[in-house]
Order: sequence, then C-alpha cells, then structure tokens
Amino acid sequence: MEKVQTNYLQLIYRLAIGLITLWFISIIWPFISNVILMLVFAFLFTTVLLSSVDALERKIGNRGFSVLTVVLLLIGGFGIFIGSFISQISLQASEFSNRIDKDTLTQEFKTIGVNLSDSMPAFLQNIISSNDDMAGKLSDLINTIIGSLASMAGAVGNFMFIAAMVFIFTIILLAEYHVFRKSLVNVIPNKYFELGLKLIYNIEKSVSSYLRGQFLSAASVAAMSIAGLLLLNFFGANLTLTFFIGIIAGLANLIPLVGPFVGMVPAILIAFMNNLGNEVALTHTLFGVVPSPFFILDIILMFLIVQQIEGNLITPALVGKSVGLHPMIVMIALLIGGTILGPLGMLFAVPATGVMKVVLLEIAFVRKNAHLL
Amino acid sequence: MKSAKWENIFKGWNHSESKTVVTLKQVPVFKDFSNKEFLELEKLIHHRQYKINDFIFKNRAPGEGMYIIMQGSVKITIGTRNENENILAELEEGDFFGELALFDDEPRSANAIATTDSQLLGFFTQDLMSLQERNPILGQKILFNLGGVLGERLRGTNSLLINSQSSYKE
Repeated sequence: MEKVQTNYLQLIYRLAIGLITLWFISIIWPFISNVILMLVFAFLFTTVLLSSVDALERKIGNRGFSVLTVVLLLIGGFGIFIGSFISQISLQASEFSNRIDKDTLTQEFKTIGVNLSDSMPAFLQNIISSNDDMAGKLSDLINTIIGSLASMAGAVGNFMFIAAMVFIFTIILLAEYHVFRKSLVNVIPNKYFELGLKLIYNIEKSVSSYLRGQFLSAASVAAMSIAGLLLLNFFGANLTLTFFIGIIAGLANLIPLVGPFVGMVPAILIAFMNNLGNEVALTHTLFGVVPSPFFILDIILMFLIVQQIEGNLITPALVGKSVGLHPMIVMIALLIGGTILGPLGMLFAVPATGVMKVVLLEIAFVRKNAHLL
Repeated sequence: MKSAKWENIFKGWNHSESKTVVTLKQVPVFKDFSNKEFLELEKLIHHRQYKINDFIFKNRAPGEGMYIIMQGSVKITIGTRNENENILAELEEGDFFGELALFDDEPRSANAIATTDSQLLGFFTQDLMSLQERNPILGQKILFNLGGVLGERLRGTNSLLINSQSSYKE
C-alpha cells in the first residue's frame, strides 16, 4: 500500500516538475527561439559538411586547415553564384527594359486592364471607376513602398546577422564536432550510456543520409533542368539564365511536394519576359497540337518529366528510402512545419520527423529490453 | 619571482602525461603508438565513473565497445548477482574488457560489475569508425593490435581446451 502511495507522490512530483519546466520554456522561448533556430541550421550545415572536413583532414592531417578550406570553398562558391546571379539578373532586366518600349508596354498593360475590367460584372466596374483620386492613391502607394523598403532593409539586416551567426556556429561545430559529441555523450547516465551512444549515432546517420540524399537529388534536378532548358532553347524557346533557373529549381526541390512547382516559376517568367512581343512564341503549339504561348506548357512538361525521372529513378537509386516515412506523415509534417516556420519549416519538417522516428524506435527498443539495462 | 603572465602563456609546455594516456599506454590494443597518436586517441576516449556493485553492462545487453580500467576493479560474471553467480574474471587497473563488441553487433556475453568505486575509459565502435574515417593509419593500427589480442586469447583458449581434453583422457 505504502509503495503505491510513494509511486503516486512520485508521479505528482514528476508532473509538477514537467509543468514548471514547460512554463519556464514558454516564458524564455521568445528570447531563445532565434538562437535555437541558428543552432539547428548550424547543426544541419555541419552534418552536411562534416564528411568533407573529415575526408580533408585525412588527406592533410590538420582539422583547423580542413575546416578553413571547406568553409572558404563554400563561401567562394556561394559568392560567385550570388554575384553572377545578380549581375545576370540586372543585365536581363536592363535588356528587357531596353527591348520593350515603355510606351508600348504601358499601352499593352492598359489594353489588358481594359479587357479585364470589361469582362468584370457591372458593379465591380463602378467600384473601380468611382475611385478616381489619383494623387491620394499615388501618395498612399509611395508611403507603402517606403514602408516596405524600410521593413525589407530590417529583414535583410536581420537575415545577415542570423546568417553570420549560423556561419560562426557552423565553423565552431565543424572544428570541435567530435569534442562536442564526446561532451554530450559524457552526460548520459551509466545505465543508458551505450544505448545513448547508439541513439546519437543512429540520429547522425539518419540525418546525414537524408541531407546527403536531398542534396544529391537537388543536384540531379538542377543538372536535368539545365539540360531540359537548353533543349527547349534548341527548339526556339529563347530562354536565358538557364544555369540559374536550373539551380533554383534544384534548391526548390529540397522542399517536398511544393518545391517542384515553385522551381517552374522563374523559367515561366523568363520565357514570358524574353518572348513578349514575339509572334512566333505567342502562337507556338506543343507537339503542333496544344497551344502553348511563350513555351509555357513546354516548360511545365519539361519540369514534370525531370521530377518524374528524379523521383522514380534517381532518388531511389542514389539514396533509397533514407528516412522511410509514409507519404501521409510527410504531408502532415510539411503542413505543421509550414505553419510554424514557413518555407524553412517545410524544408526541415521531413528530417526533423525522421529524427523523431529514430528516437521513438530507440525508445520502443529500450522499453522492450528494459530488463537488460 | 616567477611572473604569473609567463606561467600562463607557457601553460601546457612540457606538460606531463595525463593519467588517461598513462593508462592507455598499458593496453596492448594501443601498443606502438606515438605520443601524438595517444593525444589523438585521448580526444576520443570517454571517462565513466561507477560506484561499487554498479553494472557496467549486463549479459545479453547490446554492446557498443570496450572498457579500460583506469582506477578500481571489475568482475566479469555470468548468472544473476544473487543466484549462481559465476565469476569468469577479476580485472584490475590497466586491464580491459568488452573488446569483442568493437567487431560485431552481437549482445554482451557476460555481466561486468564494478567491485570497487571505479573509473573506466570507454572506447566505442563509433569512435573507431570515426577514427578510421579521419585517421585511417591510426585506425588500422588499433584494428591490427586488436586482431593480435584476440589471436592471443584464442591461442590461450585452445591450449586450455587441449589441456582439459588431455586431462579428460587420462
């Protein structure tokens, strides 16, 4: 009887401690959430880069130099990509504005606007025509633009700060990864020590195989998209920035389900911009049957083929079922991740669910073999 | 008088070997290691403290690696603690056990229990694999030495078997 009472008290005590911990976390969460996000990013980058650093350390025998080399190569690659992307985009934009006469474009848009408003019901046309205070509208527009620019500058500053911190955390984690791992392992109680060691190893393996798989499939999507866009150019699609569109499509592919469609958008925009006013492109038909103005259907079809090759041939061959989650679970995880953190949440939803699956499997194993601990 | 600043700057110069390295040097698995290699190994080794009668691992539990006794003593047993406990070995400082777990995924074949408050060094499969990735020469040295230790143990078991067979015939 006494034993039952003791257990009951112990349960209340544990519950109270749990509730106090939750309350404390909810209070400090707004202050630590950014740091935790940075650490999660740094951990993910570390997991991706760790094998390269380890491999380089094997060659040159010095961890510090290995980290430095990998990080410098990464920054160099990223800098070259962003730099050339910006210069190409500005070239494209100036070329577009030079080619399209401003007055013609205004006239074109005006015609589209008139057509649109004509096709609207009468009461909507009245609403539009009743708002004729152009000066007021303009000042509102300017205020909105200035406000957006200020908030955008703030967001860019914040992003740069977070990026710099993630970068520093990644360097430290890469350099001291094995020491940190050892310190983490050392706090595990003796009873669960070997099990904890195995759990950490399994989580590392699961996350790194998932991330590596994702990057390999992103690279394959990028390469195939570039090839596909070049092929479309061969048939007269007049697409520029093919290299960047391909890389963006590859990166967008990292977000499951939604990403592939996001990847098509830049290609469609470029096709529209480059072929505006081109009669041949406007009257183009897919396979000579289906009308495909500005090669839009061709582009969508090309991306769908790339997705199918990647999803059904390349990814299964390269990585297999690295996380092994049911599609239903993937969708639920994406929805939850997207709700909490937006696109970033969607990016990390699947690996985070994979980690949770590994932890739950290990807990199930412990419960089954509790007598051995 | 010695300046504290200079003492601080040159801290770590001519430092004496840590107790971990001294213990590791006694283990045949790490024989022929240079001082630099011992320092590399020291970074991977885990320090664990056990109270008297604590289980280090239990028979049939999943095994992850080997332990080296830095301080204290350990008994290797089969059977439960109270009933029919059969002590297979009593190990002292510098001895090691559990090395088979470095090679296979099989569960532990005996219990290991601390017989005094003990300080152990742990070296685990994942550490060996990570070392093999980063410093294959050192990893291979350990594997080669482990092979030697296991071969020696197998020879010992063989001679025990031969002795027991011949005494059975007599």
